[in-house]
Amino acid sequence: MAAWDLSVTVEDLGSDAPPVTISVASDLHVGGVIVKLVEKTQIKRDWSDHALWWEQKQQWLLRTAWTLEKYGIHADARLVFMPQHKPIKLGLPNGKTLQLKACFSNPVFQTVMGICRMLNIRHPEELSLLRPVEEKKKKKDKDLAEEIYDLTEVPLSSVSRPCLYNGMPAHFADSEQMEDVYKMLSITQPPPAPEVIAKQYRPASVVDKAHINGRWLDSSRCLKKQGIQENDRLWLRFKYYAFYDMDPKYDVVRLTQLYEQARWAILLEDVDCTEEEMMLFGALQYHINKVSLTEPQTLSSSAALDDLESALMSLEVKMEGESSSASEMLENMTAPELNDYLKIFRPKRLTLKGYKQYWFKFQDTSISYFKSKEESIGEPIQQINLKGCEVAPDVNVTAQKFLIRLLIPAPEGMNEVYLRCENEQQYAQWMAGCRLASKGKSLADSSFQSEIQSIRSFLAMQKTNSGSSNNAAASDESINTHSLVSPRYHKKYKPKQLTPRILDAYQNVAQLSLTDALMRFLQIWQALPDFGLSYVVVRFKGSRKDEVLGIAPNRLIRIDLGVGDVVKTWRYNNMKQWNVNWDIKQMAIEFEGNVNIAFGCVTADCKIVHEFIGGYIFMSTRSREKSDTLNEELFHKLTGGHEAL
Amino acid sequence: MDDIDAMFSDLLGEMDLLTQSLGQETLPPEPLRSPKQEIDFSIGFTGLNASVNELEDNDLDALMADLVADLNATEEKLAAEIQGLDVPPPSSSSDLPPPPKGLSHQPTSSVTSPSSPGNNYSNSVTTPSSSTASPLPPPPPQSAKPTMEEIEAQLKADKIKLALEKLKEAKVKKLVVKVLMNDGSSKTLMVDERQTVREVLDNLFEKTHCDGNVDWSLCETNYELQLERTFEDHENLVEPLLAWTRDSENKVLFQERKDKFEVFKNPQNFYLWKKDKKTLKDMKDKDKELLVQENFCGTSIIVPDLEGVLFLKEDGKKAWKQRLFQLRASGIYYVPKGKTKSSRDLVCFIQFDNVNVYYGKDVKNRYKAPTDFCFVLKHPQIQKESQYIKYLCCDDAWTMNLWVTGIRIAKYGASLYENYKTAEKKAAVSSALWTNRSTPSSSSSSTPSPTIKAKAPAQANGHAPKPQAGPPLQGIGNLPPPPPNDFLPPPPPDPVLPPPAPSLASKPAPQRQQPSDLPPPPLSMDSLPPPPPPPPMENSLEDPPDFLPPPPPPTSYSSLPPPPPPAAGFGRNPNQSLPPPPPEPEFLPPPPPDPVILAPGAPPAPPPPPPPPAPVSIQRPAAQPRKMPPVPPKRTTPMLSGGGGGGGGDFMSELMFAMKKRTDQ
Repeated sequence: MAAWDLSVTVEDLGSDAPPVTISVASDLHVGGVIVKLVEKTQIKRDWSDHALWWEQKQQWLLRTAWTLEKYGIHADARLVFMPQHKPIKLGLPNGKTLQLKACFSNPVFQTVMGICRMLNIRHPEELSLLRPVEEKKKKKDKDLAEEIYDLTEVPLSSVSRPCLYNGMPAHFADSEQMEDVYKMLSITQPPPAPEVIAKQYRPASVVDKAHINGRWLDSSRCLKKQGIQENDRLWLRFKYYAFYDMDPKYDVVRLTQLYEQARWAILLEDVDCTEEEMMLFGALQYHINKVSLTEPQTLSSSAALDDLESALMSLEVKMEGESSSASEMLENMTAPELNDYLKIFRPKRLTLKGYKQYWFKFQDTSISYFKSKEESIGEPIQQINLKGCEVAPDVNVTAQKFLIRLLIPAPEGMNEVYLRCENEQQYAQWMAGCRLASKGKSLADSSFQSEIQSIRSFLAMQKTNSGSSNNAAASDESINTHSLVSPRYHKKYKPKQLTPRILDAYQNVAQLSLTDALMRFLQIWQALPDFGLSYVVVRFKGSRKDEVLGIAPNRLIRIDLGVGDVVKTWRYNNMKQWNVNWDIKQMAIEFEGNVNIAFGCVTADCKIVHEFIGGYIFMSTRSREKSDTLNEELFHKLTGGHEAL
Repeated sequence: MDDIDAMFSDLLGEMDLLTQSLGQETLPPEPLRSPKQEIDFSIGFTGLNASVNELEDNDLDALMADLVADLNATEEKLAAEIQGLDVPPPSSSSDLPPPPKGLSHQPTSSVTSPSSPGNNYSNSVTTPSSSTASPLPPPPPQSAKPTMEEIEAQLKADKIKLALEKLKEAKVKKLVVKVLMNDGSSKTLMVDERQTVREVLDNLFEKTHCDGNVDWSLCETNYELQLERTFEDHENLVEPLLAWTRDSENKVLFQERKDKFEVFKNPQNFYLWKKDKKTLKDMKDKDKELLVQENFCGTSIIVPDLEGVLFLKEDGKKAWKQRLFQLRASGIYYVPKGKTKSSRDLVCFIQFDNVNVYYGKDVKNRYKAPTDFCFVLKHPQIQKESQYIKYLCCDDAWTMNLWVTGIRIAKYGASLYENYKTAEKKAAVSSALWTNRSTPSSSSSSTPSPTIKAKAPAQANGHAPKPQAGPPLQGIGNLPPPPPNDFLPPPPPDPVLPPPAPSLASKPAPQRQQPSDLPPPPLSMDSLPPPPPPPPMENSLEDPPDFLPPPPPPTSYSSLPPPPPPAAGFGRNPNQSLPPPPPEPEFLPPPPPDPVILAPGAPPAPPPPPPPPAPVSIQRPAAQPRKMPPVPPKRTTPMLSGGGGGGGGDFMSELMFAMKKRTDQ
């Protein structure tokens, strides 16, 4: 067969270097081309990751056994010889940027699998890559300030079979820098400064929210084909809100990053919530931050012992809970009490007398008061059991007002009682006591001290916040409460107004462990009515106006932009089939009961919508197939569209 | 020691007499209730005023039986306590401390916990268990000897604990509750502070011989406010009853309530309520199941998406005002005038932490309500008219049902589904049992049995082969005392053991007798060795959490004193540096019976054992063939049951789970 010249650009020679020309015949297979090429360059290195890219056809020549003829390559083909893995800048859900080598030649689905393997995130099918929203860069120095965590040195071979070392993948144990990267991945970030939150882009409407979904990359095509270049910036995000088999033991990074994504979704009002819910989210963020500082991530030693260890741990904890040790019991028996002069006021009795001072005694879950300390041996004037009562703070540190408002249930209704404390110290103790008692716990409860502590730290927050709120020193004791809520509440409340409200919500979560707090945050997030909805602006067949399609893990919803309300819901389990007409970019779906819908996609390619729906259907098959291996083929079948076939 | 034994046997004898003299119906309650606490009679009677006067004769009999049992138990306990505390020498000998406790407890409260499950099981189970238990006692002492000082210290601590526990127990409240039946009759029960509604229901199933379907519920009615609500199965019964005022005419009803678990039977009616009625009605079972999965089995419980205009009776005012309300997991909200429905504009109307939801009756008349479909939110302690009670009126009964169910889901979350699953299991078992039950009388002793039965299915899954033991065992009618039965595994050996069983019945410590029985075990081992051991473990451990036979659980909690020592040792040893004393005894026991056997068994127990001895010992019984079983029964069971009563079961099951997982891997 006749030989002809094929010129190939070898990237490793530099961008200015002329293409290397080799003499080939049409029956030469691609592997042979590569061998010739490598020989000609005379560079000794590991070429195993390199492959040929056909510029005009935007196609990788990955089948090395295929001949040039079979690929249809002639002398005019512009081929580039380059590595399949190239560095990209990856924006993580926690806002940090990671530089790592991603695969440019395989479908994005596999690229994501590779990235997740490197980062130790299970269930990569739930994540995907998207093009970032352009940030307006005003100051150059800000750019410099951004820290990039580098993972490009991680050998690809070590990632393919990660073995755990100290609870993290071995490649993170190589050096201190690598360990820092792992910490960044697995430990929650401190609350962002309020200005940072305020500066971020916030979608103002459902249509705004829809635009982000036009940015997802196509899972069935490779990065190179989608125009991604070396060192480009991409975001890694959880795309499908169906989180399978979340296990805090194996999912440290996954859980942390999911929390970060959820936190930002709340802070930027990507998911709507009520004020009460926002306060609870704020309290949880505060608590998570506090606990993650004090309770450094215990990198569990050997995975094999994990189960046993944690079982034993909980055994111990429970035993303690049962107050098993004798000394603890004795403590319980000689229950601690509080005794002090406080002032009491009952707003319901229409007296103008105001606060009256008595000698108060706090014992078990009850408060009793006496005329004076001397008379405290006899019968109290009154005894109030606080079990089941509502406790609210009314505090103004600058005005030295320390009020505990109690709403005490009785057969006749709720009785309002205010207790006035003299100072911070006294307030913290009595408040903590009231809090515990309202939940039926006595002062002997182990959480008493930590309750006092948290009340104090909130008081401290009020102090610092009452000064200049700009100085948001992120020391753990004094977080600007504006860091914990969305900008809407920055305008509505001053930090010191927010403090008591967050503290109020905090009392219900203060005892949670780090993992439990993270899980609680995610649970509340998932319980929001709008959770898990990805929006796309569409135009339904036969309709003249744009409407919004919401894609949820179990259903599709149709939102009328005029009314702003859900007008229709279709569940996937009623879906019989769906088709895409790629020419007119229209999706047609048939549901049981002869329900047919069809729409064209406005803000996102219809491949993206198709992939969302197919993806969720794929996610729902996971519980049925118990195997650990990811059924990649099925995913592509459900999401690939015509190209996959 | 002898004294205690004597007392114990006396006590058992007395119980036997009682059982004989009393009708079957009455008997069951005894063991259950006997949980030894000093009963707070006054509370029961005064609180529930009239109920005592209205008691029927046989109710009185039952109550008396309870009381006598209680008194005996208390006496026993006191004696045991005194003995334990006064006599350091006996206690110092490593063996003695545990036995006295075990003995004293068993008759009294502690026994009930383990035993009750066993009893329930239809006596068959009990015999085997006793046999298995016997061999171990001797070994523990030997092992303990090495570090006498430590042991003594431990013992002392244990005793203190014991005494403290008793004191605590003394505080446990009991109520005499009169429950109204559908037919207008009533049953009187003694309910322990720690008993859940589920346990009380099980008790009632046994008493009433009803079919035990999932709809059976306990409801409270508030006469003064004309309110009504169904207690949730996981709630404690005593607490809400204590909120009643002295002279209240409130009632507790035992009746079938379709709305209790309707959401799990027809989830589409709640989660897809916007769809037309026909689609809802034609919903396929598969789709229903999927809905339950989606909303109750995920990481987060999903509350139905409810929204609608309701009439609200404003605080203390007479007028009813319409508002657009929305239900969310975090509470009920309304849309303020002139605002949109967007989440951020919603105003919180109420959160559920401190209120319960009730059905209001006769509201049209009483409050001039627009409709009679009214639900009410109030703090459980409020018993009289108050501005703090929130009344909400719906257009129709269906909407009201939607809201009440939605609020329950938001308030109770996963517990609701757990309750349903438990109730379903129970219903399946009890219906099956009815057909099989030949002699009600024999079962009479096991009032708590309903709970135990539930286990049976669970066992089946784990260890299918075991069940056979049942028939032979039944012969032994008196077994109830042997309570240790929890360890179903023994059944295989049973055939051999039966003879000892009778004697056991009379004696407090059936377990001990068996040391001599070892021969049979070998046989059983060959044939079914693995199965027997696991069952005991699982039963003793898992049962408490799942079924909580009414009596046993309370007792187990209260009985913590006896178990605590062992249990405490368990828990701590692993974590700490294995204080030799407690763990060792458990370990050692196995060797004496059949050292050779152990070795084989031990290997299976993963290597980890060496580091944390305690955990290993625990695991072995489960994983190993019969050899282990003996050990657990003697010491461990009492300990576990007692100590575990509260949390013990959990730890154990967690350990088991962990082990299983591991071996799977």
